[in-house]
Amino acid sequence: VEGTIEANRPSSYGAANRDIIRVLLRPTWGWTVLFLISALCVAWGGYCWYNQLIWGLGIAAYNPPVMWGIYIVTFVFWVGIGHAGTLISAILFLVRSRWRTGVYRASEAMTVFAVMTALLFPVLHLGRAWQVYWFFPYPNQRYLWMNFKSPLMWDVFAISTYFTFSAVFFFVGLVPDLAIVRDHSTGLVKKLYGLLSFGWHGTNKQWHNYMGAYGFFAALAAPLVLSVHSVVSWDFAMAVTAGWHSTILPPYFVAGAIFSGCAMVITLLLPMTYAYGWKDYVNMWHFDNLAKMCLLTSGLLTYAYGVEYFVGWYSQNPFEWGIFYWRATGEYAWAFWTMVICNCVIPLVWYHPAWRTNPYILFVVSIFINIGMWFERFNIVISSLAHNFDPATWTYYMPSPTEWGIMLGSFGWFGFWFTLFLQTLPAVAIAEIKEMVAPPVKGALEAK
Amino acid sequence: VSSAIANPAGIRIKGIYAHLDCLLTGIERLKREGITGFQVLSPIPRHEILDAMYEGRPSPVRWWTLAGGVTGITLGFLVTSLTSIQWEMINPGGKPNVALPPYAVIMFEATILFGAVFTLLGLIVHCGLPGWWLDGALQDPRVTDDKFGIVFLRANTKDEKRIMDLLRNTGAVEVTRGDDTLYEVPNA
Repeated sequence: VEGTIEANRPSSYGAANRDIIRVLLRPTWGWTVLFLISALCVAWGGYCWYNQLIWGLGIAAYNPPVMWGIYIVTFVFWVGIGHAGTLISAILFLVRSRWRTGVYRASEAMTVFAVMTALLFPVLHLGRAWQVYWFFPYPNQRYLWMNFKSPLMWDVFAISTYFTFSAVFFFVGLVPDLAIVRDHSTGLVKKLYGLLSFGWHGTNKQWHNYMGAYGFFAALAAPLVLSVHSVVSWDFAMAVTAGWHSTILPPYFVAGAIFSGCAMVITLLLPMTYAYGWKDYVNMWHFDNLAKMCLLTSGLLTYAYGVEYFVGWYSQNPFEWGIFYWRATGEYAWAFWTMVICNCVIPLVWYHPAWRTNPYILFVVSIFINIGMWFERFNIVISSLAHNFDPATWTYYMPSPTEWGIMLGSFGWFGFWFTLFLQTLPAVAIAEIKEMVAPPVKGALEAK
Repeated sequence: VSSAIANPAGIRIKGIYAHLDCLLTGIERLKREGITGFQVLSPIPRHEILDAMYEGRPSPVRWWTLAGGVTGITLGFLVTSLTSIQWEMINPGGKPNVALPPYAVIMFEATILFGAVFTLLGLIVHCGLPGWWLDGALQDPRVTDDKFGIVFLRANTKDEKRIMDLLRNTGAVEVTRGDDTLYEVPNA
């Protein structure tokens, strides 16, 4: 159900062009500070990774049986963040939801950059990063192929397909807008955007095939977006580890990914909208709908958390019930309750329409959701490994400064690309926004 | 380059419209009078324009998507199965060498991947991209702003007056012929 808050619209096609393009290549102080902070975080993360390459994975706090640490936690976190963009741009396109128009470009960019960030973590987790090409099938003299029956290998294919697809979908959507920027520029900038826009000129042949292709991209994206996090969940569910080996994980992971992705869209787009004065394009109508998506998925997650406990108790499996009991009462109870409070309790404030449309509350709650979703992955990955079948191996894992530094670097890496995007590419889809504007008519045709 | 050299088979004619309804009237009148061989420029993909030009005919890009999907699922099956058979002495997980349930995941991902890549190729081919070398008459920066256009790249010279009159009478705000159709950006 679309929000009760009405969408604002730009006054004309020309106004939409000018409003969106005017912020490009004109860095403000606020933007510069954010960009530099991101770059510094990347530099620090790079330094930590350099240390890990020199000294080996021993510099991380991995200790058997906890051999998956916060690199895997943060990998799953960023893949989850990458879900909302394609969901908003493709699935909402297929169901003709009008509120996607203002927010889908920035959400798609978020998806591409989040998956770019996620892709770093398997390499970081490898330790011997130079052997990353072993992930992919390539002919070799040893006849040594990877094990396609392994969920880890499914994940390689799922994430690399998702990244390729998201990047293509993002770029295809950008082409008509890049042509607009080209036609509003001069000199070298015009040449550069002319090159990027692939010589788009809005002929009927181009639009006809473009719309046909866009529909197919969206139709392909819909099952892909639901499958990717299901495949990520199988990294866990296919293992016979207590707390992981459950059929509920795929829908639970997909709901969590949409939840965290929509919250991240709110976190990123609220400041952008206010900083650029884009209330005609992204406003409370959009944020209200995003908050409703978060409410729905928060409810689904809460249900999934409950079902996990119920199944653990009802199955009378001592290992299964043992891990769930320990998660809520053991040494990692602080992580568990942070997850529950951030994901199940705090979002409830959005049931009140006034709080769902207050920019400060929206922003703060979206940050809590992001924190909660990171802790959800921490809770799943770490607690099950630290409290395995053999009590003699039970341990307590706490990330080392190197791991925290690399995680900080990943946020910097994401921020670096996103801030760069805001200055170089139209962050609102101009051509699609124009479709919401009444076309210029002389009178013979009613505007539709 | 004169228009006579650039267009040996005819003459360029371009009408620029400020209003969508006038453009649609222009398209309808041209079709009614049996004049073909024109292209329409538009800042957005208005369904009225596409309906008038294509009368519901779908884009051929769909065949590329289908070909990509079939290629992907086939390659997904072949890569997983043939590599397993080549290495049959070692069987991790104890599943059959050609185990369809786990391979279905790879086949699904390959279907989507190849479907998307082929769709992109189809888009490039059928849109005529990159369009850096499109005729100058089709490269009008006013179109990406808020104007519409009807362009004949090779209009029959005996129809020239009839077309120009029709464009003017249906509300074109500017009608040009020959090299005049090449629009220069003011102060660029």
